[in-house]
Amino acid sequence: MLTRSFDKVEDILEKYGYRKEMLIKILLEIQHEYRHIPREVVNYIGVALGIPPAKIYGVITFYSQFSLNPKGEYTIMICDGTACHMEGSMNLVKVIEEEIGIRPGEVTQDLKFSLDKVGCLGACALAPAMVINGEVYGKLTPDKVREILRNIKERKAE
Amino acid sequence: MKINVNGKQVEIKDDAKNIMEALREIGIEIPNLCYLSETSVYGACRMCLVEVDGKEIVTSCTLAPREGMSIRTHTPKIYEMRKGILQLLLASHDGDCTTCEMNGKCKLQRYARDFGLTTNRFATVSKKTITDNSSIIVRDNAKCILCGDCVRACEELQTVSAIDFAYRGFDTQVVPSFEEKIENTECVFCGQCVAYCPTGALAIRNDVDKVYKAIEDGKYVIGMIAPAVRASLQEEFGLEDDIAMAGRMVSVLKMIGFKKVFDVAFSADLVAYEEAHEFLERLEKNERLPQFTSCCPGWVKFAEQYYPEYVPHLSSVKSPQMALGAVIKKYYAKEIGVAEDIILVSVMPCTAKKFEAEREEFNGDVDIVLTTRELVKVFKSTGMDIKMVEPEPFDRPFGLSSQSGLSFGKTGGVLGSVIEVIADKAAVKNVNTKQISEGTNLTEIELENGRIVRGIAVFGLGNVRKVVDKLKNGELQADVVEVMACNYGCIGGGGQPYPNDVRTRARRASILRETQSVDVLISPTENFHMRQLYEKYFGAPLSHEAHETLHTEYKHRRRIQQEEIDILPLPTDDEEKIEISVCLGTSCYTKGSYEILEKLIALSNNEEWAKNLEIKGTFCLENCGKAPNVLINDRIVGEATIEKIKEVALSEIREKQGDTEISKSNL
Repeated sequence: MLTRSFDKVEDILEKYGYRKEMLIKILLEIQHEYRHIPREVVNYIGVALGIPPAKIYGVITFYSQFSLNPKGEYTIMICDGTACHMEGSMNLVKVIEEEIGIRPGEVTQDLKFSLDKVGCLGACALAPAMVINGEVYGKLTPDKVREILRNIKERKAE
Repeated sequence: MKINVNGKQVEIKDDAKNIMEALREIGIEIPNLCYLSETSVYGACRMCLVEVDGKEIVTSCTLAPREGMSIRTHTPKIYEMRKGILQLLLASHDGDCTTCEMNGKCKLQRYARDFGLTTNRFATVSKKTITDNSSIIVRDNAKCILCGDCVRACEELQTVSAIDFAYRGFDTQVVPSFEEKIENTECVFCGQCVAYCPTGALAIRNDVDKVYKAIEDGKYVIGMIAPAVRASLQEEFGLEDDIAMAGRMVSVLKMIGFKKVFDVAFSADLVAYEEAHEFLERLEKNERLPQFTSCCPGWVKFAEQYYPEYVPHLSSVKSPQMALGAVIKKYYAKEIGVAEDIILVSVMPCTAKKFEAEREEFNGDVDIVLTTRELVKVFKSTGMDIKMVEPEPFDRPFGLSSQSGLSFGKTGGVLGSVIEVIADKAAVKNVNTKQISEGTNLTEIELENGRIVRGIAVFGLGNVRKVVDKLKNGELQADVVEVMACNYGCIGGGGQPYPNDVRTRARRASILRETQSVDVLISPTENFHMRQLYEKYFGAPLSHEAHETLHTEYKHRRRIQQEEIDILPLPTDDEEKIEISVCLGTSCYTKGSYEILEKLIALSNNEEWAKNLEIKGTFCLENCGKAPNVLINDRIVGEATIEKIKEVALSEIREKQGDTEISKSNL
């Protein structure tokens, strides 16, 4: 194959009119597309937008939202902000670890799940909370977490 | 404007950029770690605090002067604050001063001493940091205080941005993209980051030991010294008035075991002479204009990366360093009969010269490059009092130089020398120079026949980028452009002693001017030994032999390295082979590069002349604006069509074969 897989990147760049100031938006969409920000893409958009790759790398590594390693199909963000922490979020991390076998910052081998511990999801009233692919789950208990994860796993089996 | 400083009325300049600069003028250097007058204000180190009107304490680098304001620069409170800042910085610093390249020159070390920091009230925290000693520029982030001087120098002064801050908070570090080794990045090795680093986080690879080893091994060690080195050495040893410095350098090098010491200014004469003829030829044929100088290896790499369309415009004459290297290795070695054993050591104000010497085009003619700072170390370690060393002249034949050759060390020098040579060849009526923008001078040379030749001398890669862009879009016209990557030219090179700021550079320029003014030869054409070189070996400028020895070629260099794909490889290493790489990057692909590729394959199968086309697929020639792009040997063809490619390929074949038969029979 002689084609390259940058068609999608090109679409995203086009969407934002190749504007430098849209870098973060562009990176977010790229991350959504690839589930991380691949190195070749950084170089590619660097050339396309006229931003030195070192600068883009700085932006990516500054925001914890961006990842340079592939994330799972389901990205789990477990909140460890003060409110969630007090309500036992660390205990939930342990439950998730048992259930899918990865620790915060890791991805399962089949790229199904990735787990990240975040500062605050802004859902303190629902503490302890987690977000999976944009969906918020609140007032969690170990059993609830097990159920949620098993449901997702079964969805695949169907 | 009148302000009150520490209880005294003082007069400061109305246009002072900030209080820090204003106080500098009246003899108060407010302690600072992140202030660079040439770049934007960062205000991060908080060392430059001053008290304003007896109330607030603010950073003087961000403070605008105001009539009648009252400043206190050194109150007990400020003293304590500065001490606290230093202690915090030192708590996460590796503090390995004795093995640090900056030992004795480090600002952090100096302040720690001046503020009497014998103990630290904070416990030491070690950081996870990166060291990169893969190339000429050595980075040790354990010594970095995150002042950002290197980042701003690289981005704002040089517009390269090979490095930037990455990560966040306590984990912040300055690194290239993806923590890549600096040698694999767009870094042009100008070393301005090293020049401005206040600590030892950035240093230059030290090659001094290689020189001692060569002497120890009984090699025939030959030295050659660049013009800018003597000026900064004078300043480093406090001998500003000592015009015999070059001679003292020769003496010391001889004493420690160098067999011969030559002057790179000689070679500058040679290069100017050859380059002026090259320019006149291009002017006559009206081709590849403007001609860009190529003495500065930082600029050459910059052009190769960012302006591939101007690579053919670079003067093909080697830089003085590489030209003298070639002359010594090719001819002089035979004359003195020590071919294999010669180790050629050049002393340069420049970090990029180390990179240049290692470029494959020059097959290792120069073996070791030392920067001025390394030479200073060699001298200081001998314990000799330089003032008392009796000067000795440079060795003949490559020791004679004109004022022009010496002036290569600072901005305008190369252009001026070329003009001197032109004046000798064609009648020059009038020469008029004026500054047209920051770091940019325009010289108009009116010839006897009424023609006006326009020459531009520009320094600092940021200024260069502006000038080249204007030349590209036609806003500016020039016939010859002298480019020096560092501010004020080589005297401000990345290998020069500390401090290496604007004030020091201006002083060096005047020292060099003085040294130069006592030289009795003015134009390169008066250099007897240089002319003899032509009589003996080259015949005439631009002769075949001159081309073989003194000229080279540069090529488009991509910032992003990727493997090429062989599509129609040729089995032999045929000299007549033409390499055609079709860009299959997204931009080119969407604009039909794949169809071009198919047509090309058909062409090479069907047409006799096209048999020697080696066809490759490549990724992103970084010329996406002109997609589709095709690289033919080293020439980029933008907005390519099969007809355009055919035309260029045929002209390449013609150039190679030197006859026109093929083209006639096939076109």
